[in-house]
Amino acid sequence: MTVDLIGVGKSYAGTAALSDITLSFGRGVTGLLGPNGAGKTTLLRIVATSIAADRGRVRLLGGDPHASHAELTQVRRGLGYLPQELGYPGDMTTYGFVEYVAVLKEWNDRRARQREVRRVLELVGLADLAGKRVAKLSGGQRRRVGLAQALLGDPRLLVLDEPTTGLDPAQRATLRRTLSVVAHEATVLLSTHQTEDVAALCERVVVLAAGQVRFDGTVVDLVATAAGRVWLTDHDVPDAAVTWRTGTGRHRVVGGSPPPGAESAEPTLEDAYLLMLGADAAVSALPA
Amino acid sequence: MTADTTWHAGHTLLRAYVEGRLDAVLGASLERHLDGCPACRADIRPLVDPPLLDQSWSGLRTAVESPPPPWLVRLARRLGLPESTGVLLAATASLRTAWLSSAFVALGFAVAATLLRGDVLWPFLLVAPLIPVLGVAAAYGPSEDPFEALAVTAPYGRTRLILVRSLAVLVTSVPGACLLGLAVPGPAWVAVAWLGPALTMLPLVLALASWVGPRLAGAVMALVWCGVVLGSVRRLPATWPVEATQQLTYLALATAAVAVLLVRSRRTRRIGAVL
Amino acid sequence: METADGNHQARGDADLLRAAADGDLAALRELHDRHAPWLTARLLRRCNDREVVVDVVQDTFLTMWQDARKWRGDGELAGWLWGIAFRRMVSRLRARKAVVLMPDWDAGATGMLPAAEDQVLLGVEYGDLGDALRRLSPAFRAVVQACVLDGLTTREASRLLGVRENTVKTRLHRAKAQLRCSLADARLEGWR
Repeated sequence: MTVDLIGVGKSYAGTAALSDITLSFGRGVTGLLGPNGAGKTTLLRIVATSIAADRGRVRLLGGDPHASHAELTQVRRGLGYLPQELGYPGDMTTYGFVEYVAVLKEWNDRRARQREVRRVLELVGLADLAGKRVAKLSGGQRRRVGLAQALLGDPRLLVLDEPTTGLDPAQRATLRRTLSVVAHEATVLLSTHQTEDVAALCERVVVLAAGQVRFDGTVVDLVATAAGRVWLTDHDVPDAAVTWRTGTGRHRVVGGSPPPGAESAEPTLEDAYLLMLGADAAVSALPA
Repeated sequence: MTADTTWHAGHTLLRAYVEGRLDAVLGASLERHLDGCPACRADIRPLVDPPLLDQSWSGLRTAVESPPPPWLVRLARRLGLPESTGVLLAATASLRTAWLSSAFVALGFAVAATLLRGDVLWPFLLVAPLIPVLGVAAAYGPSEDPFEALAVTAPYGRTRLILVRSLAVLVTSVPGACLLGLAVPGPAWVAVAWLGPALTMLPLVLALASWVGPRLAGAVMALVWCGVVLGSVRRLPATWPVEATQQLTYLALATAAVAVLLVRSRRTRRIGAVL
Repeated sequence: METADGNHQARGDADLLRAAADGDLAALRELHDRHAPWLTARLLRRCNDREVVVDVVQDTFLTMWQDARKWRGDGELAGWLWGIAFRRMVSRLRARKAVVLMPDWDAGATGMLPAAEDQVLLGVEYGDLGDALRRLSPAFRAVVQACVLDGLTTREASRLLGVRENTVKTRLHRAKAQLRCSLADARLEGWR
């Protein structure tokens, strides 16, 4: 397995951000779902070797990042990371920024580096904006610059923290295409709020809440947990746990007992997610 | 000249032009026409040797994608600095013209102050050593910079990056400061004596930064040095901060700081270490 | 979002320049595709060192990109570009102490154009002036080529040709007088 986490825990100022996480990831795309504060970013930062876990063991790409500096560097060579918030030094151009990261990733030969930078910019569709200052790009374009640098060198482990934030539906579709191409050979771990991203991209999903794993399995299995527990009805059901009015004017009810006169509905990933996390999830995952 | 917009140069004529078979007058005539006719300009394109066009495009594109780095970095590259290190240095704030010029303007004012009141040295002694020190603190990049979260996960050694940047800052600020120091009243060795405290505070700042971060470390160092210089102004001779005895103390401190740095960087070269 | 190539081809030079100055590489590429060929050909007629020509063309576009705001959009972009290009080439070659080649003035030595096209071309641009230009004495040819045909100022021409500016002005004045004499009643637009 590319990533092995055993009993991993991390605390900040006394509160546990992650408790006793045991997970393994291999090739393919895994989605990390969870409300704000669930520990998704902390988990991804541990996998990206940005921070160290307080407890437990971590094995990445066959090496132990805590064993020695040499092993840590070796792990980092196979890693691509897109942090949740990415800053840009000074007034760099798109190309300049990705080139800078390329040097940090030890691309020392100028021509090879130039080719690689152009390749990843092409991959995310920013080749024509290579000369534009990053400061002048839109939010979605900046996110794609971040993705481009993560893709440098075809990393075997790709860690993406909220890659789809700020992207409109068309851009998200493009991103999904790019990721599906990349994911054939690599282990991709991405976190998101949007269940559609998980549904479209991931074979596997891990649901995190309050620093603990609530679900770890395939997307299909997660959806199945909501089977027979979703209904559509014409009337509002005020005391149901999770309910909302859909665009067609009907009310969707997830969980609880079936309201009178309601008909069963096909569960979606979102239904299953809401069901699993209850009302806490509902606030942060309301449909747009 | 009336422009007859319905007339266009044919393929034969354009070919003769490109191949240099038109004389000056005809050529000039055609050129005047081309000045105002996009269609004929487009027709010339297939007649020009493609490698020429490819070369000029490729050079243009490179120049636009990565604007030239600060002249200092260009100079360093010409002197043998590896190109990839140059890329990293080019993004360092404290190597930029703006930063350096403000540093030297500050030093210039300090020197002017010493010259105006012929018997004081402390403005110069105060400012000169702080330039490289603050330059190094600034070379870390803004603290809590979201970019650092990414840079930390790259294989390129963070220690190496910081040391390379520190060295670059030192190399760029020392010669100018020494030159300015020659203008200062008092013994000539003052022009280099300020290096003593500067070279002491550098490892101190780096060591301190590994605990409290570059910003705070830089600020603390600046305050301490201010205390040393200003505290000695009234009762001690003007050159006291850089006299021989003090230099020995600085040497001892510097050695200790370097030792601490070495130990610290070796032991804590794990995930999350600042150095 | 980036537009497809087709959109770029339909846009005017001013539009493209604005987009390119903003960082749009595709727009810059289109501008290069439109203007680099004729610039290269025109420069090659004056200097047969291909490396120099490629460098100058590259520099010209870089200057265009950097100084994009300086172009007011009056007149053709082509004219502005030629001004930058020729001056850049002149200063480069002067630094190398090489001579800028001038196109050949003697009709007999070059060109095997069919007479008909010849006439049509002359009819379009210089009319009767073409003949008169050919009959200019050699001393005046260089000045006319530099100042009138290539658009240098008298000062720049003096530096290029290595003569004093007053000499350039005098020769230019005399050349124009000679041309006026050669023509019964030519329309001297732009030649006053």
